[in-house]
Amino acid sequence: MAVLKPEEMLSLAEDVVSSAVKKGADEAEAYTYQGLTTTVGIERGQVARSSRIIDCGLGVRAIVNKAVGFSYTNVLEDKVAVEETILRAISSARASKPDENWLGLPPKKPLGSVEDTYDSKIVELHAEDLVKVASVMLEAAEQTDKRVLPIDGGAGASYPSNAVANSNGISVFDHGTIIECSLATVANDGKNVTPVCFEFNAERRYDIDPEWVGKEAAKLAVSALKAKKVETKGSKVIFTQFALQQLLYYTFINAVKADYVQRNQSALKGKIGQRIASEAVTIYDDGLLKGGIHTGKFDAEGVPQQKTLIMEKGILRNYIYDNYTAKKEGLESTGNAARAGYLSTPAVEATNFHIMPGSRSPEKLVNEAEDGLIVYFVQGAHSSNLASGDFSVVAAPSWKIEKGEVTHATKGMMVTGNIYQVLANVSAVADNERKIGQLVAPWVLVENVKVIGK
Amino acid sequence: MKDILGKVVNFATQKREAEYVEARAQRLFKTMLTVKEGRVEAAKQGIENGAALRVLVKGAWGFASVGALGAETLTEAVSDACKMAKAASSRLKAPIKLVEAKAVQDKVVLKPRKDPSKVPVEDKINTTSSLSNTVLGYDNRVKSCTIDYLDVTGTTFFMNNEGTYIEQDNLYVWLGVSATALQADVLTSSRDAVGSTAGYEVFDVETPEIVGERVAKRAVDQLRAKPPKGGTFPAVLAPNVVGTFVHEAFGHLAEADFTLSGSILAGKLGKRIASNLVTFYDDGTIDGAFGSFKYDDEGVPSQRTLLVKDGVVTGLMHNRETAHKLAAKPTGNARAKDFRVEPLIRMRNTIMEPKDRSFEELVEGVKFGYYFKRFRGGEANLDGTFQVGTQEAYEIVQGEIGEPVRNASVSGNTLETLLKVDAVGKDFELWPGICGKGQSAFVCDGGPHIRVKEVLVGGSA
Repeated sequence: MAVLKPEEMLSLAEDVVSSAVKKGADEAEAYTYQGLTTTVGIERGQVARSSRIIDCGLGVRAIVNKAVGFSYTNVLEDKVAVEETILRAISSARASKPDENWLGLPPKKPLGSVEDTYDSKIVELHAEDLVKVASVMLEAAEQTDKRVLPIDGGAGASYPSNAVANSNGISVFDHGTIIECSLATVANDGKNVTPVCFEFNAERRYDIDPEWVGKEAAKLAVSALKAKKVETKGSKVIFTQFALQQLLYYTFINAVKADYVQRNQSALKGKIGQRIASEAVTIYDDGLLKGGIHTGKFDAEGVPQQKTLIMEKGILRNYIYDNYTAKKEGLESTGNAARAGYLSTPAVEATNFHIMPGSRSPEKLVNEAEDGLIVYFVQGAHSSNLASGDFSVVAAPSWKIEKGEVTHATKGMMVTGNIYQVLANVSAVADNERKIGQLVAPWVLVENVKVIGK
Repeated sequence: MKDILGKVVNFATQKREAEYVEARAQRLFKTMLTVKEGRVEAAKQGIENGAALRVLVKGAWGFASVGALGAETLTEAVSDACKMAKAASSRLKAPIKLVEAKAVQDKVVLKPRKDPSKVPVEDKINTTSSLSNTVLGYDNRVKSCTIDYLDVTGTTFFMNNEGTYIEQDNLYVWLGVSATALQADVLTSSRDAVGSTAGYEVFDVETPEIVGERVAKRAVDQLRAKPPKGGTFPAVLAPNVVGTFVHEAFGHLAEADFTLSGSILAGKLGKRIASNLVTFYDDGTIDGAFGSFKYDDEGVPSQRTLLVKDGVVTGLMHNRETAHKLAAKPTGNARAKDFRVEPLIRMRNTIMEPKDRSFEELVEGVKFGYYFKRFRGGEANLDGTFQVGTQEAYEIVQGEIGEPVRNASVSGNTLETLLKVDAVGKDFELWPGICGKGQSAFVCDGGPHIRVKEVLVGGSA
């Protein structure tokens, strides 16, 4: 099947930029993307499907009189279609209105180096190999306990590559790989069905453990059986990475984006240098993290990715920027522009949002929680108030901790509060960090979280 | 297009042993605008052409997607799909079968009054500008306004090896708007949406002035709101919240793939799960509604599917696979976001039927409780635990609407809550939305005002 080679992606981007300038754009940028993905899917206890997806396309930004136009196409083999895309970007810019804050596309800069973002073994994987991965995971889950039903999941290998060129001389190409396997389970003991439990592995190198994923997904579901109601009160709560990712994604991670700050949508506006979290919390946005899911040499505008200190022992140090928001403040981009493939213009986004681990083991953290709760997943985090950081979510599955030991699952429990209060009340962080989406973090123990039960 | 798809379908059945083949193709054109405080961040236009080939070989699904429409590429892709299916079939225990569906030959041509593809980009920019001006000019405490505009036009094509061939015009207009307001240390936000499958004329009814004032007022009113008390209280839900509740707390569990995965509706067909005031349906045939379409992405006609009648479960939402498994009729709920993905069981316009009570009657019986007026988001789990967060809510004190409360959310168990519905209003509203289930789908949900004896209210107090 027709698949673009690296040099083709780069030369297409470069040609589009010079053509756009010839056609009347003051500045131009081209982004080419190609994604090759193979997946196998598990459905209700069996491997039932497999797919191969090839998606490639081109996105063009053209600037005319400080107005930005954008156009994209996935019809690349046709020269006319590409030319029309360029013209459409220019005509969109002409139809639009000048933006006085537009200070140009980013300049060319040397790129840093990244480690463990590409593995040729993943590129070479076939559907049959992934069927094996999924089967190992499935069998591990089924052998763990008869009451477990693996309802959904699978394995996938993807090979995305992209190139950026602009009229300031940026011309860069990079590619990477990701392999993942995941399993969602429920347990049913004849009387009760548990909430959906989930476990996964996702890595840039071929280094996943499907057997572990299967076993853990099954163990979680079984231990979520026999749930009991808990009292309404303030409680010590351990948030695992899944719960943290959900709670932070819709609130804090948006609040450090310069776009939100500049537009009065962030509770962190004007708080640089101030204490907003407990001393236990240090966070980087690390676009160069070894093997990070969002690690890359450059961002969606061709600007080098970097490691940015966000919070130092509870003190807010920096926001994250793309080229536009940085120039607006006379700063330089922190390499935090992201796109949804070739379909969208760049927007500010975190890379690997890294909460630094502490020295305690997870067992020690449970021990310190004494009479508390451990929250694995939360439901409804997307209804958080992104402006204020207020949230009110269902916490399930979650477990009660009594006398420093996990005793039983909880039922119908809500956790409510404000994300900044949660960050201020972090009393300890564990040493068990892992990657979940943008978040790289350990478990955290938070004091006095409002829990609503019976 | 018909010839190319025909060749591809024949190739798969004759040369690659496919038991079932479907070829979907799209030629779509999109216009998008992102506007922040009146500034057009970028005016965007794009073309998305591509095809999806799905096959059953030895009882397993194989799928391939390519961003191309040429006969040669599509033949390669369908061949790939058959290879994928064969690989997946190696560990299959229960082969997949499809329920019978009548072969259809049809061409669906839309004749909108205002075709968005014929409206100049300048006009679309003007609509968003006046919306932005309305929002920011409403009150000086309104600090930001973000608008996302999208329209999709073009044609999709569907063919399978059972004699179905459908060409269907696509038309979607969507506008999402959000605002934030700030006073002292209090920061509030609100959002709203407009969505239609009729045409750009939707903005003649949902004018920038009407929508803008709605959003801005909500953000400003929230500034003086207080946090709700946490605990169990009686509640009156407005149509917008009822719609979200029906969609999230009940609808997802009635998607047959989730039911088969063990949602609490498993085995409940014909059984009472709600008070006899409760009737739900999922209707893909409402003219111009954001969740309406004539044929789904398996070529099955859309319909009005009754899910609950007077408190008793009467049906589920199906694709051809789950309909076969549960010996039901297909309901036309298989939808794929685009050529890149396989169809899933998705809702269309999900609705609770109105009854006979006035709003005053619903509220007057409540000594202390909450009135939830506008949703922010919601989610449900297979075990029936749901959560619906709100942007706008009020206390009810001695049968009257009282002070506004902020960021309240409602939770409970779906079945327990449905049994506690004790009064249903006679009004009705339908609201557009975008539902996420791995892929996004355009939907509506709605209903009348209702009263629930008790729900768990999560607040920050």
